[in-house]
Amino acid sequence: MKIEIVVDPARPAPPASLVSRVAPAASAPAASDARGASCCILQRPEWADVVPLEQYENVTPLAPIFYTDEYRDATNYFRGIVKSGEMSPRVLELTENVIRQNPGHYSAWQYRYKTLMALKSPLDDELQLMDELAIKHLKTYQVWHHRRLLVQQTRNPGPELEFIANSLQVDMKNYHTWSYRQWILAYFNDDALWSHELDFVESMLESDVRNNSAWHHRFFVAFQSGVRNGDEDRDAIVRRELAFVKERIAIAPNNASAWNYLRGVLDHAKIPYSELQAFVLPYSLPQLPLGIPPEVVDLENPLPSKDSQLPCVAAVEFMADIHEAAGGGDLVKATELWKSLANEHDTIRKRYWEYRIAESLKTKSGGDG
Amino acid sequence: MLPASLPPLSKGGHAAHCKRCLSGLPSSQVDIDPAKLALSFYCLGSLDVSGELEKKTKDWEREQWREWIWSQQTRGHHGTGFRASSYMTAKHSTEEHSGHDNPQIIMTYTALLSLSILRDNFSRLDRKGLLEFLRSCQNIDGSFSSEPLGGDSDLRTTFCAFAISTMLDDWSGMDVANALQFIYSCRTYEGGYGQSPFGEALGGTTYCALAALRLATKQLDPLSLQDRQKTVRWLVQNQAYNGGFSGRTNKDADACYCFWCGASLHVLDAGDLVDNAAMSSFIASCQFKYGGIAKIPGEHPDPYHTYLSLAAVALLPPNSSEGASWALCPLDPLLNATYQTSSWARAHIPAPKVDDDALGDAGI
Repeated sequence: MKIEIVVDPARPAPPASLVSRVAPAASAPAASDARGASCCILQRPEWADVVPLEQYENVTPLAPIFYTDEYRDATNYFRGIVKSGEMSPRVLELTENVIRQNPGHYSAWQYRYKTLMALKSPLDDELQLMDELAIKHLKTYQVWHHRRLLVQQTRNPGPELEFIANSLQVDMKNYHTWSYRQWILAYFNDDALWSHELDFVESMLESDVRNNSAWHHRFFVAFQSGVRNGDEDRDAIVRRELAFVKERIAIAPNNASAWNYLRGVLDHAKIPYSELQAFVLPYSLPQLPLGIPPEVVDLENPLPSKDSQLPCVAAVEFMADIHEAAGGGDLVKATELWKSLANEHDTIRKRYWEYRIAESLKTKSGGDG
Repeated sequence: MLPASLPPLSKGGHAAHCKRCLSGLPSSQVDIDPAKLALSFYCLGSLDVSGELEKKTKDWEREQWREWIWSQQTRGHHGTGFRASSYMTAKHSTEEHSGHDNPQIIMTYTALLSLSILRDNFSRLDRKGLLEFLRSCQNIDGSFSSEPLGGDSDLRTTFCAFAISTMLDDWSGMDVANALQFIYSCRTYEGGYGQSPFGEALGGTTYCALAALRLATKQLDPLSLQDRQKTVRWLVQNQAYNGGFSGRTNKDADACYCFWCGASLHVLDAGDLVDNAAMSSFIASCQFKYGGIAKIPGEHPDPYHTYLSLAAVALLPPNSSEGASWALCPLDPLLNATYQTSSWARAHIPAPKVDDDALGDAGI
């Protein structure tokens, strides 16, 4: 992804109902409140032996941040702790305090992990705390990185899939969350973990058939993660996936994710697009062919659902690809379709469709010459 | 329908937004600390690409900024690079290095570009240490960790390692073949590249992959014909009907992806397939009335979206009839800086050539 820095003062919080459902620890007080009224570590007697260290700024800094007193106080003590090398339960309290104020604080995460290891702390408790922090800070790299380190220690990936399913309810397309799921599956690669994965994807697509993250995950499960017991017949897998994606296209024809998946399966299995012509053709027409009695409906090639907006851009493109591959006289048909995309159905990509026409003419004249 | 002509691009307002951020951020932005140098780059880059740097900043300010950036150059246990800011450095510290104040690879890339924008002469750059740093960040699978021996690794860090090697004009800091292998392993069935192997195709990391491939191989086209067609198709498909680009299939447009996808197409010599007018119109609608550009219309602006929107316009400008406000400095899509800045980087960052005769004359 990107090197994203968003300066947005109004950071939306997930709905409270979801937070509490996913993470029972959400109602626990922050470390800074745990000891009562005093917000500052400076005033707590049990920290009197630590020398707080202020932040160094020798020259005028670029984009100085106007820290709150509470943050300045906590990080002064954190720098003090790092200098002394202390690893103790109160360090866990302090790093939690810093992280709650700044979830991107790389060093606080790092030092917290080291301390957890040194103290041999119960990591299930830590994961429970992370359940809360991950939901709160879904877009922070460190939250996920820390979780990976922990699970590599506990070697208990099972509960993680449920946790991930819950956090996807908060943000169904969150990139970190999906990456974490792919990592859990690939890293532990345990048959029991994989066993419900297709059902899971199906349920995600039932909520939103346009969720590209779910489609991508399905491709990963079906084709990119090795062959598991029962999946040895690869042709059967391809047939199953083609049937699955056709059905989803029929429900919602104008869905780029499903069409990209269809192309992905065909490319992967090296099946020519022309084999799908019977299925795709009705989607590329301005309206459904009249007079097809329901009893002759071809189950292998479901028709677009009623009220679909036709023609479907992706289907027109697909038909043009079939004609282009056939070459010869069919190039004229391809060109007609590209023209209709450029001038009518998909004008934002006019330049692209005109480029496709120009390229196919080049190939043709090259072939003839 | 798109308007017949665009509202002006408020270059002065965007420069003012970035200048304000450089002079200070509210406490709510505390999570910028571990990425401060990147933020600085987006601010300085906005001033640079809009041609406002000299107008909006004074010599002494630029001098101070150079000093501050140099003060982030850190020698760690595994080489030298730039840390994000001094947020982990204690006052009056006598220790050379705490082990928790590490240089970071993305910050190092943005520091080198920021110093080039500020026309530094790089006499203080520890080049040998920088190569050592890169080597210690590379993992067995060819990827790069954000810091030596740990941290997250993905295509962003890979791109930064390639850009740093390009600027140094020295590739001895990495195993290039292994690094390329990692890039290929991030390719997806859609034609874009995921953040790491198995990840969903994403605009930002697709740019990182394509720019890195082109920097390393120097070939006009680093992909096979079929792969190229598929990637171009996916990138073009990401242009939404409102003119903006989305970063993933079926997501809403976001100003930053105008750069990530637009520059990716440019890297593949297919920039002319973008509908520039529609893209500019989307970016115009993301302008905040008091300066700065937001990810979508109606949101608050930030330097990241401001810079990337300006960079996208510089690379894929609308018709010249839109007037002078839309004219920006030409951009080098591979290093992601104006050509003037990237030429400066390529001229001043490599180690000075040792002249044998001169050494002989000096009796060395």
